Amino acid sequence: MKRNTNWLLATGLLIGGLCAAGSATAQVTLEVMNPRGEIPPPPTIGINPRVPDLAGKKIVLVDNGKFGANNFLDVVAQMLKEKYPTATIAMYPKPAAQTITDMPKWYPTVKQQGDLFIFGVGD
Amino acid sequence: MPGVYFTTTEFLDDAKSAAKDRGMPGIRMIALPADTYYRSRASHEELQPIAAAAFSAMVDDLIRPLTADEAKPSQTQRQLESANIKVTGKDYQDAYQKVNDLFLDSHWGDGLPIVPPTPKLVKAMLAATSRSPQEVLGQAAPKQGTATVEKIAVNSVMAGAKPEYFPVILAAMDGFLDKKYDLTHVQASTGSFTPVVVVSGPLGKELGINSGIGMLGHGFRANSTIGRALRLSLLNIGQTWPQVNDMALTGRLESYTFFTFAEDEDKSPWEPYQVSLGYKPEESTVTVATSGNPLVLGGGAVAPWTGQGVIDQVVARISGGGGFGWFHSQTFVLVLIPDCAVDLHDHGYTRKSLQEYLYEKSRLPFEKLSPATVKLTQEAIADGRIRPENAQIFKDNLKPGGRVPIVQTPDDFHIFVAGGSPGYDLLFSYPGPNWAHQTKKITGATLTKAGH
Repeated sequence: MKRNTNWLLATGLLIGGLCAAGSATAQVTLEVMNPRGEIPPPPTIGINPRVPDLAGKKIVLVDNGKFGANNFLDVVAQMLKEKYPTATIAMYPKPAAQTITDMPKWYPTVKQQGDLFIFGVGD
Repeated sequence: MPGVYFTTTEFLDDAKSAAKDRGMPGIRMIALPADTYYRSRASHEELQPIAAAAFSAMVDDLIRPLTADEAKPSQTQRQLESANIKVTGKDYQDAYQKVNDLFLDSHWGDGLPIVPPTPKLVKAMLAATSRSPQEVLGQAAPKQGTATVEKIAVNSVMAGAKPEYFPVILAAMDGFLDKKYDLTHVQASTGSFTPVVVVSGPLGKELGINSGIGMLGHGFRANSTIGRALRLSLLNIGQTWPQVNDMALTGRLESYTFFTFAEDEDKSPWEPYQVSLGYKPEESTVTVATSGNPLVLGGGAVAPWTGQGVIDQVVARISGGGGFGWFHSQTFVLVLIPDCAVDLHDHGYTRKSLQEYLYEKSRLPFEKLSPATVKLTQEAIADGRIRPENAQIFKDNLKPGGRVPIVQTPDDFHIFVAGGSPGYDLLFSYPGPNWAHQTKKITGATLTKAGH
C-alpha cells in the first residue's frame, strides 16, 4: 500500500513539474493577415496662389445646396460688399443634382464668373 | 482660382480627410461652430454673429500667401497593407485577446470581437471560390482602397463567415464596387443609409439564408456573417470610421450585418427576381441596394390586411411628400411576404404589372413639387441623369396639370418575395443623389451545388 502511494506521489510530481515547465515556455504567436485595402495615393497638387487684396475682385459665393447655406452666404456677401465696395459679388447655387464629386461639371462655370470663390457650407 | 471652404467643427476632420483623399491636402477651410450654426441657419439675423466671427479668417485665407507646403505639398506615399502581423501571447487565449485589441484599437473592426484572420483560415476561405486571390474587384470609397479577392477573404474570416458563403460575399462586393453604385454616399453620408443585400436563386436555400420569420434578425449564421463580412470589407478596404469620414449622424440602422436575407422562391407566385432580370432559374444572384428608414407594412399576426391594401399603403407613403426629389436616382426595394404576393397574384398582378401600377399611381401632381424639386429634375434632365429615353415624360409633365414620375422607370421598383407567414411587408427606399442599386451573378463557387 505504501509502495503504491509513493508511486502515485512521484507520478503526480512529475506531471505537475512538466505542466509548470510547459506553462513557463509555451508562448503562442498568432500570425494574422492585414484586412485593410491598399490606397493608391492620388497625385498631390497645391492650392492656387492667393490674391493680395479683395478690393476690385470678382468673388463667387458657391452655395452647395445644403439647407441654410444660401442664408449664410447672403450674410457673407453683405459683409463683403460693405468692406470691399469695389468688389463684385456673385452668388452661384451649385446644381443640386450634382454632388461635390461632380466638380468638373460646375467648377468651370464658377471659374468663368470670378477671380476667387467661397464655398459653403459643407457638412 | 483661389478659394476657401466653409465647413463646421464636427465635419472638419471629415473635410480634411476628403481633401487629402483627393490630393489637395492644403485646401484652406474654416469651421463654423456646429453647436450654433445648424440651429441658426434658417435666419439671416441669427447667422450674423457667426459670419462676423469667421469673416476675418475667411479674408485672411484668401489673401495670405501660400506656404511652400501649400503650394507644392509632398507626394503622399503608398502605405503598404500587405505584410502579415504577428502577435504573441502567453497562451492562445492571451494571443487571441491581443489580436482583438490590436484590430479594434486600430479601427480595423466593427467593435465586436473578430475571428483572427490567420493565413490558414484565409486560405480555406479562398478555396471556396475559383476566383484568383489577386483579382481586383474595384476601389472602395471613400478612400479608394483596392479590393482584392484576398482582402475580402480576410474580412470574411474576421466576420465568422463559412467558406461556402464566400462567393455570395464576393458577388455582393462586385455590386458595391460597381462604378454605377454610389458607395461614397452610402459609406459617408450623414443619413442613416444602410445596405440591403438580397440573395436570389438556388444558392440562398442551399446556404440556409433565412427568408422566413426573423429574416432580418439575429440567429442565422448565413444572414449574419455574410452581412458582417460585407460590413467589415467596406469598413477596412474603403477605410471609413465614424466621426472621421463616416458621418452617419445616428449611425446606420443595421450597421453590423446590413439587411441581409434571401428571396423565398419556393413560396413566390412569380418568377424569382433574378429571372425577371434575364438570369436563368438555376443561376443565383445577389442584389445590393440601399435604404433609409424601412417602412413596415401589412398586419402581421395582429391585424387583417389585403394585398391591395398593402400596395395602396406603399403608394400613399411614397407619393405623400418627403424625400429629396432626386427622381433620377430614386429606387425602391419592396419585399412582399409570400401570402401577400399570392393574394396580389390571385387578383391578377404580375411582378411587371405591379411595378407599372406603382410607377403610375405614385406620380406626383406638378403643383405638389417644391421649386427646388422642379429645379433638381430640370437639372437632371439637362445633364442626362434622367436618361434621354426616359426624359420626355418628365418634360411633358413638369408643368401645371402634369403628373411627374418619382422614378425613371417602373423597373426602379424592385419587388422581392420573402418573409414569414404571418409576416410584415417591407419597403426599403433610397432617395439618394446617385444610383445605389446593383444585381450581380454569383460565380466561382467550389463548395456548393449552385453558384458556379
